[in-house]
Amino acid sequence: MLEPLQLVVNGERRSLDVEPRTLLVHALRDGLGLTGAHIGCDTSQCGACTVLLDGRAVKSCTLLALQAEGAEITTIESLASDGEMHPIQRSFVENHGLQCGFCTPGLILTATDLLSRDPDPSDDTIRHSLRGNFCRCTGYETIVESIRAAGAEMRGSVGR
Amino acid sequence: MIPAPVRYARATSLEHAFQLLAEPDSKILAGGQSLIPVMKLRIARPSLVVDISQLELRGIDVRGDELHVGALTTWDELLDARELERPALAAIGECVRGIGDLQVRNRGTVGGSLAHADPASDMPAVLLALGATLQLRSPEGERDLRVAEFFAGPFTTALSAQELITHIVVPLPAPGSGSAYVSVEHPASGFALAGAAALVGRDGVSRVAVTGVAGQPSLLVSGDPHEALEAAEIFGDRFASAEYRRELASVLVRRAVERAAERTKGDA
Amino acid sequence: MSEAHIGVARPRIDAPDKVTGATKFGADGYVHGLLHARLVLSTEAHARIRAIHGDDALSVPGVVAVLTAADLPTATTGTDRAAEPLAREEVVFAGQPVAMVVAETEAAAEDGAEVVMVELETLPPVVDLEDAMRPGSALARLVEKAEGGSDLESIHAGVDHGQEDAEQEQLSANVLDRVQRKNGDAAAALDASEVVVFGTFRTPWVYQAYLEPQVATTWLEPSGTLVVSTGTQGSFVSRKELARAFGLPLDRVRVVAEPLGGSFGGKLALIEPLAAGATLALRRPVRLVLTRGEDFLATNPASAQVTHLRVGARKDGTFTGIEARMLVDRGTNAGWGVEGITSSLLVGPYRWEAHDIVGYGIQTNRFTFGAYRAPGAPTAAFALESLLDELAEKLGIDPIEIRLQNAVVEGDIGISGNAYPTIGAVEVLERIREHPLWSARASLPENEGIGFAAGYWPGGNEPAAAICRVDTDGTMTVVTSSVDMSGVDTGFAVIAAAAFGLDPNKVRVVFADTATGPYSGASGGSKVTYTVGKAVEGAARAARVKVLAAASQELEIAPDDLEVVDGVVRAIGAPDRSITVEEIVGKALRYGGRYEPIEGHGGSAQTRGAPSVAAHLSHVRVDRDTGEVELLRHVIAQDVGRALNPALVEGQMRGGAAQGMGWALFERLDHDEDGRLLTGSFLDYAIPVAERVPEIDTLIVEVPAPDGPFGAKGIGEAPVVGAAPAISNAVAAATGVRIHELPMTPPRVWQALRQDSGPTETPA
Repeated sequence: MLEPLQLVVNGERRSLDVEPRTLLVHALRDGLGLTGAHIGCDTSQCGACTVLLDGRAVKSCTLLALQAEGAEITTIESLASDGEMHPIQRSFVENHGLQCGFCTPGLILTATDLLSRDPDPSDDTIRHSLRGNFCRCTGYETIVESIRAAGAEMRGSVGR
Repeated sequence: MIPAPVRYARATSLEHAFQLLAEPDSKILAGGQSLIPVMKLRIARPSLVVDISQLELRGIDVRGDELHVGALTTWDELLDARELERPALAAIGECVRGIGDLQVRNRGTVGGSLAHADPASDMPAVLLALGATLQLRSPEGERDLRVAEFFAGPFTTALSAQELITHIVVPLPAPGSGSAYVSVEHPASGFALAGAAALVGRDGVSRVAVTGVAGQPSLLVSGDPHEALEAAEIFGDRFASAEYRRELASVLVRRAVERAAERTKGDA
Repeated sequence: MSEAHIGVARPRIDAPDKVTGATKFGADGYVHGLLHARLVLSTEAHARIRAIHGDDALSVPGVVAVLTAADLPTATTGTDRAAEPLAREEVVFAGQPVAMVVAETEAAAEDGAEVVMVELETLPPVVDLEDAMRPGSALARLVEKAEGGSDLESIHAGVDHGQEDAEQEQLSANVLDRVQRKNGDAAAALDASEVVVFGTFRTPWVYQAYLEPQVATTWLEPSGTLVVSTGTQGSFVSRKELARAFGLPLDRVRVVAEPLGGSFGGKLALIEPLAAGATLALRRPVRLVLTRGEDFLATNPASAQVTHLRVGARKDGTFTGIEARMLVDRGTNAGWGVEGITSSLLVGPYRWEAHDIVGYGIQTNRFTFGAYRAPGAPTAAFALESLLDELAEKLGIDPIEIRLQNAVVEGDIGISGNAYPTIGAVEVLERIREHPLWSARASLPENEGIGFAAGYWPGGNEPAAAICRVDTDGTMTVVTSSVDMSGVDTGFAVIAAAAFGLDPNKVRVVFADTATGPYSGASGGSKVTYTVGKAVEGAARAARVKVLAAASQELEIAPDDLEVVDGVVRAIGAPDRSITVEEIVGKALRYGGRYEPIEGHGGSAQTRGAPSVAAHLSHVRVDRDTGEVELLRHVIAQDVGRALNPALVEGQMRGGAAQGMGWALFERLDHDEDGRLLTGSFLDYAIPVAERVPEIDTLIVEVPAPDGPFGAKGIGEAPVVGAAPAISNAVAAATGVRIHELPMTPPRVWQALRQDSGPTETPA
């Protein structure tokens, strides 16, 4: 049975029809065409589906779409604005923090959550905060560097 | 990957929740970090999920000589709590930091995890060592249950059909106490291969609890915890034998007690 | 020609799309009228199919069809996964697809798949490798294999199959292949050695664990062409397999390779036949995207292996003889196995006086074997490099010194009887020896150790072609049908830019499909940069010839006296006499234009190989009480020929090293005695996470490959090969205990530390 759902996604009010069992990740991908959230596993571990819910990183595969009603969802598609990449995105590009790119959107959003609460994290803290984001290609080091550099840039631009 | 068909309702009050939970095969949905994964694997097939996330069951505060934690408090909120910044309660933060991952800690709730009762989850060992009590509520009324009486086996608790946890109550340990939690994680699932929580008083007397090695977490009551482990029924699997887990638990108990004892030298 | 842009660590050209979520992977595209498929997998490892009941599934709302083997229009009787995408009569592994439910939504397909009833008559499962070899053993496959299988081995490595041996071993029919490589008298050489060491080494089935599950979307064009959009490593390989499987002419199959979310050898012609079969049966577009659980069960992980190895050396450290029996678990793959490659690579990049190595490819009722980054090499290196470490210890010779002493150089004769081409073994060993971590090994705290190991990958050869086209805005478009697995597109841009005379920022790289593009073999085998890159270089040079010819006419200067620099054609020595590339192209691409379009076609067909050697140092700390091995630091040195882009090269080095850490400590696909998979999700199968991977120092060594573009060669596979033995050698250094079975999980390490003499070993 389909039910109507109103979600606030990337600052916009969107309407779609979902089954109660529809996971948020499927609502975003199939219902709204926001395919930047990827599905990499079925045990809620890999983090490729990570989005922000009220500014906090969550695994969109581990939420029913109906649970997200009333919250603000941010997907990777909205991080850049007016053609300008977010500093974290830019840092991943410049610091080579990706290869195949499948884990990248989820990683960037987890990093967004982390840096919003801990603007100057140690490498150990960064690695610990990536426990829920698998990467099979990079060996993680350039990801850590990308997040560290983004944090530094964002700290430097505070107050401008 | 996709749950079986289910219905969804959002509870607006505790009474509303009880009404909804009167339906057989209904399940409480809090953070969903335990329930949704088993629904996706179709191991759990509730007819209705009752979303209680809007109920006023969040928050941490100290009342007299007790710490009260609302059942809907997320792991992340627990980590931020100033009330936990004392050596006597260090085991809590030490444990929570290792639960799940950043995304899971943003959503998962203390109450939801306890009700799910995975025998390898970390927090029950800490609550057992700290002598915590759970406040439960059902249409029949309220009752308190010590954590030791709450777990009844793998994924099995003493909760009745329409009952839910409202608060976790931790008696504040005596001044000068220290606590600690030490575990070895399964590198895949992140659950405890074995975990040990210890509360040590200034007088050196300790309470020790273990998790991950048996059908439910347990307090080691008889005298020497290492003797208790020798006698206990420990389970094993192809990844880690019972023999290994028994030894591992013993090692972790020793380390947890040592670390908790070190913390008794800190301030109350 | 300017090489100023070569060696610059510029960002990947596909990075902006990837960080903004704009990249469309295989499951992301919208197709009108798409149906969704879900597989029904066998729960038994070996069985005969009695019946498949789809009625309950058909009555699930949204379900359109329940397909079995009889419904798919396969045209050949082979038993490989392309010819038999759904099991016909005999199931040969738990997880084998036996039916497919097709529905309007993925949810409905899953609902339907849950209620398909499969009646199986179980047969004895063959799961033990050594038992499977014995004459009289139960057979893993009863139905006779038909002739005409696939030829997928050649994609991954250029190795021969050794000699046929007259010696008759009594073996069961489960042994599908026996490869023997022999030179001199290895047994005698070992008898005459100062020191001989031996061991039995076991490695499990290991899963590529690419983060993007396998996916294929297929539909029929009105003209009747079957279009397959899929995450594949090789669009031409896929096309060939589909044409063979369904009896279609090549030009009636069009394969479009979508961006890959990781692959590492595992995505070749496994999933396309299923989706294509459904589309051909139903005449509708179908998408099959595997759930992770299905991907664990039904794809093609790397073989388990048992290696019995004996090696010896003289007192001065010269390697003498090497004797081995290598048992390779092919699972159900009748088409090819890795016994040829692994037995060839067992000798490492070293000289041996005599060798006798036998490899067996054995079928069991476990999985379809597939390739995983340097297939057969990590397992061989684990055995060899562990024993070389022991040899060094017994002789009192430094572990790196003893390898240096025996390292091959160009011209040395290899195991196949051919001379080694240019190979940077010595250079890599010398470079890593200088790293401060190596000298730190003498003064470490208790329970810490530093280990060394080396590995190499021979690379691959396959002819390839490419096209370059220059536009009126002065930009160049490079077209290949290669699939980007390792950032090759960024490499192509640099190659084309350098060969033509442009800034790489002005080069766009596009990947064409089998209907539109020039030929490329599959990505894999560490050959794309070497072969396709060479074709790109050729294409860019050909375009350059055209632009010089046109400029020569405009400027009235001979082409030999002109150069192209950053998009400007100018007289050598007199740069003010010039004309821009834009201007020339503008004169060509217009009505009545005087010059041919500025385009070039290039081809390559190298026969000389371009092997890559990579050496590793691992620093570990072992917790003796829990058995946990903590990785503190890692160093990798690799000969890359020429680092077209050091950042991309380092990415491959670190990524490969991290996968080696997975081999060493975490990864194992485990079956029960009945052949059912016990570790079918990431809850049981651990891949390395950020917290467990240490910092990895990368040392780039450049020994130019003579036939590669600007000396570059394929480097994607070598970095994984020596990583695991470096870690096991580090554990030995830390604890004095040598572990000969992977992965070194905490319980295994704990157990090994408590045994007096370590695992029992038998001479080969």
